[in-house]
Amino acid sequence: MTLALVYHDDYLLHENTPTHPERRERLTYTMDQLREEGVLDHTDVELVEPEAVTEDEILRVHTPDYVGRLKKMSEEGGGALTVDTHVSEHTWDSARLAAGGVTDAVDRVLKGDNQTSFVMSRPGGHHAFADHAHGFCFTNNTAVALKHAQEVYDLDRILLWDWDAHHFDGTQSVFYDDPSVLTMSTHQTGRTLFPGTGYTDEVGEDEGEGYNVNVPLLPKTGDEGYERVVDEVFEPIARQYDPDLLFVEAGQDNHFTDPITDLGVTAQGYASLMNSAVETAEDVCDGRVVASLAGGYGVEGGLPYTNLAVIASLARLDTSNVREPATYEPPADGPTVDGAVSKVKEKLGDYWEL
Amino acid sequence: MILGIDAGGTNYDAVAFEDGSVVSAAKRSADTDDGFETLLAEVVEKVDGSGNAEVDRVVVSTTRVLNSAVQNRLPDCTNVVVPGVGLSPELAYSGDENLVADGCVDHRGRVTEPLEIDGEPSHGVVAVTAKFSTRNPSLETEASESLDAPTVALGHESGGALGFPSRAETTVANAKSKPVFESFESSLHDALDETGIDAPVYYLKGDAAMLSRESARTTPAHTLRSGPASSSLGLVALTERYAETPSLTNAVCVDIGGTTTDVTLVKDGFPALVDEVEAGCISTFYDGVVAVNTTAGGDTRLDEDGLTGVRDGPAVAFGGPSPTPTDALHVLGAVSEGDATAAREALSALGDPEQVAEEVVEGFVSAIAESVRSLEGHEDVPGTVVVGGALADALASRLADRLDCISDVIVPQNAAVCGAVGCAVASVSVRTHVHVDTARGEMTVASAGPEKVEEVETGVEYEEDEARELVARETAEATRRAGGDATLDEIEITAFRSFNVVEDGRVVGQITDATARAEPGRRKR
Repeated sequence: MTLALVYHDDYLLHENTPTHPERRERLTYTMDQLREEGVLDHTDVELVEPEAVTEDEILRVHTPDYVGRLKKMSEEGGGALTVDTHVSEHTWDSARLAAGGVTDAVDRVLKGDNQTSFVMSRPGGHHAFADHAHGFCFTNNTAVALKHAQEVYDLDRILLWDWDAHHFDGTQSVFYDDPSVLTMSTHQTGRTLFPGTGYTDEVGEDEGEGYNVNVPLLPKTGDEGYERVVDEVFEPIARQYDPDLLFVEAGQDNHFTDPITDLGVTAQGYASLMNSAVETAEDVCDGRVVASLAGGYGVEGGLPYTNLAVIASLARLDTSNVREPATYEPPADGPTVDGAVSKVKEKLGDYWEL
Repeated sequence: MILGIDAGGTNYDAVAFEDGSVVSAAKRSADTDDGFETLLAEVVEKVDGSGNAEVDRVVVSTTRVLNSAVQNRLPDCTNVVVPGVGLSPELAYSGDENLVADGCVDHRGRVTEPLEIDGEPSHGVVAVTAKFSTRNPSLETEASESLDAPTVALGHESGGALGFPSRAETTVANAKSKPVFESFESSLHDALDETGIDAPVYYLKGDAAMLSRESARTTPAHTLRSGPASSSLGLVALTERYAETPSLTNAVCVDIGGTTTDVTLVKDGFPALVDEVEAGCISTFYDGVVAVNTTAGGDTRLDEDGLTGVRDGPAVAFGGPSPTPTDALHVLGAVSEGDATAAREALSALGDPEQVAEEVVEGFVSAIAESVRSLEGHEDVPGTVVVGGALADALASRLADRLDCISDVIVPQNAAVCGAVGCAVASVSVRTHVHVDTARGEMTVASAGPEKVEEVETGVEYEEDEARELVARETAEATRRAGGDATLDEIEITAFRSFNVVEDGRVVGQITDATARAEPGRRKR
């Protein structure tokens, strides 16, 4: 089947606080939408129940000290790692299952069982560093999965595009000196949004110099702006880097209804982002795309439609009717991305032909 | 007293059933016009000679919808879909004509865009299905009121599960089945009136639970596996009652009919089920018993090459036009009822009657054995076979000889009317979907038939045990609406989840979403 959709009901167990933006209904409303659409019964979609990774697999990315702390806090019933990142009794198991979901999704595609995969998991991971965590993230699920992939498969290059509205500070730090994983982030500029990093001059270091790309975008940037970034930054780099696998960290918080960010992407915009990713992957890496849900806090008006859009794109289904209901006022035209794109060209021009 | 009626394609069987026993039984050919009336009169008359016995309920299985479906005799249907936003509406194109209407219901059950139907259905049979209609049926109801069609089936009445394309498909199946089911059930009800039987009437679903007449009229595609469900349920009940097998847990059941033979599987004392039953041109998301159907029965016409797969009428021994396996069994002395001389004469036309008879019976038993073997794909085939139908006694041991996997053969008393007995022992069970949204202040309960939509107090947060009790209560009530009487203890909650609704950083309510049903079983009384 084309798409492996990785999901487990236990992804609903972890909770920060009852009114925290990162809540279980981020997934429940989407799963309702997917069920009602018939996605889970579709012949091109295979529902996969993930297994948790082991502690050793987590230790490929995280320090024993941090893992010990997280595990203990969870075993003792909870606590807070930062002011907005809360541990519950389920957090350690949920984090291992989320990392396991991403790992299974990578395995599925690299073994050739499925052309593409999507992981509908929580908690997220891209703000988790080797030795600490913040931003609603505990273990860097993507990094755990990609380290696993590098260990098990014969891979030279992986292209990771993180399109979450927030800069992927944790993921960037893990692969900052590693040219075998080219990390690229498009996000709302750190001047206006957590975590405040992710500028164009963060290009990687040592052997990894030139293999970290940041595209900070102005608030309100919409579908058109994102499309230009795809055309002028993502695609040229993808073609030149020529990866064996494309990984998309699919943050759905660029959506115009998202309550904690300030961007203007629509469900149709998401469909076209993922279509671009899939088409590029078809050209450069035999269509192998793994995507994983990152942020996205517009639980009712955003996630059901943006998730449907990207999942349908990955399964190569018709997305032309995927949109928000008319009760949501569409976003106004966004600002130009000229500034961001030319900055990227300037800072990364030494490494890539842009 | 309960009347069980098994209306197959060849015969109508009826039993009067009381205190777990068959009190009287009757059989009539389905070929005659007054089949039901004489059948009902006979079975009631036999109870105590007065014909005045008190009937508590009538339960019916029928193959009418199935037969029309496999023979491609169902009417064309216009499928009106209200897909709202999402994937292509084409995924729900299950009609002979498909009409896409504007309008949108979201996952919370809010109407976000109004209904607008552009175009007229070209068929008189219409199905209407809106996305998320089980969370809010109003667009479907509005559409059905605006379309002036003689036969309409609605998505939210067809079942409560999420899955717009399969709900549309099921709704189309119900719409197409309605005319044939209605004509069948009106003739049955005329006969009941004639006979003076005034009791609630139920129909057996393919999953071996029953439904009220009203719910069955709304969702007649539920009856697709009604026939094999009734024989399977009946053979288990008869075995436990009459065959000194107090508890039959696993078995293969074979019901040898006039036109076809049904093979079913019993697991843990109840017919094993599969999901998404389909037949001919219709598909549903309903469960049905695991069933393998062979077009070989006691009345199948024989020619020089053996079984033809076609029934012309009864066996020659019973005045029919052409030789059949029943006639062959007469030649072999394996059955006694009927005109043996006529049977022998008919077989002589095909060759040496003894030799022809042996070959025919051999071929017949092989065909049934092949069906039993094809169950192996499902699970381990149990070592016990229970055989029903008019020819059960004559064929059971031959069948067992044919099957290495079978060690025990049971032909319980009254096996000839096992389907009618299955009806008599059935209970009501409907899969019920309960959705409570206390932020919107609304609850929907969907099962089979019109959905219950009710206001609930806004802002309430239930503890899990309170929410579960609410689900059980609503499911028991839905079971009552479908004609049953389940107690709270008999409700099985198969899926449950509950979470807060947060708006602007405040908890403003709670959503509970559950699937439950009354545990299907057999009535002991």
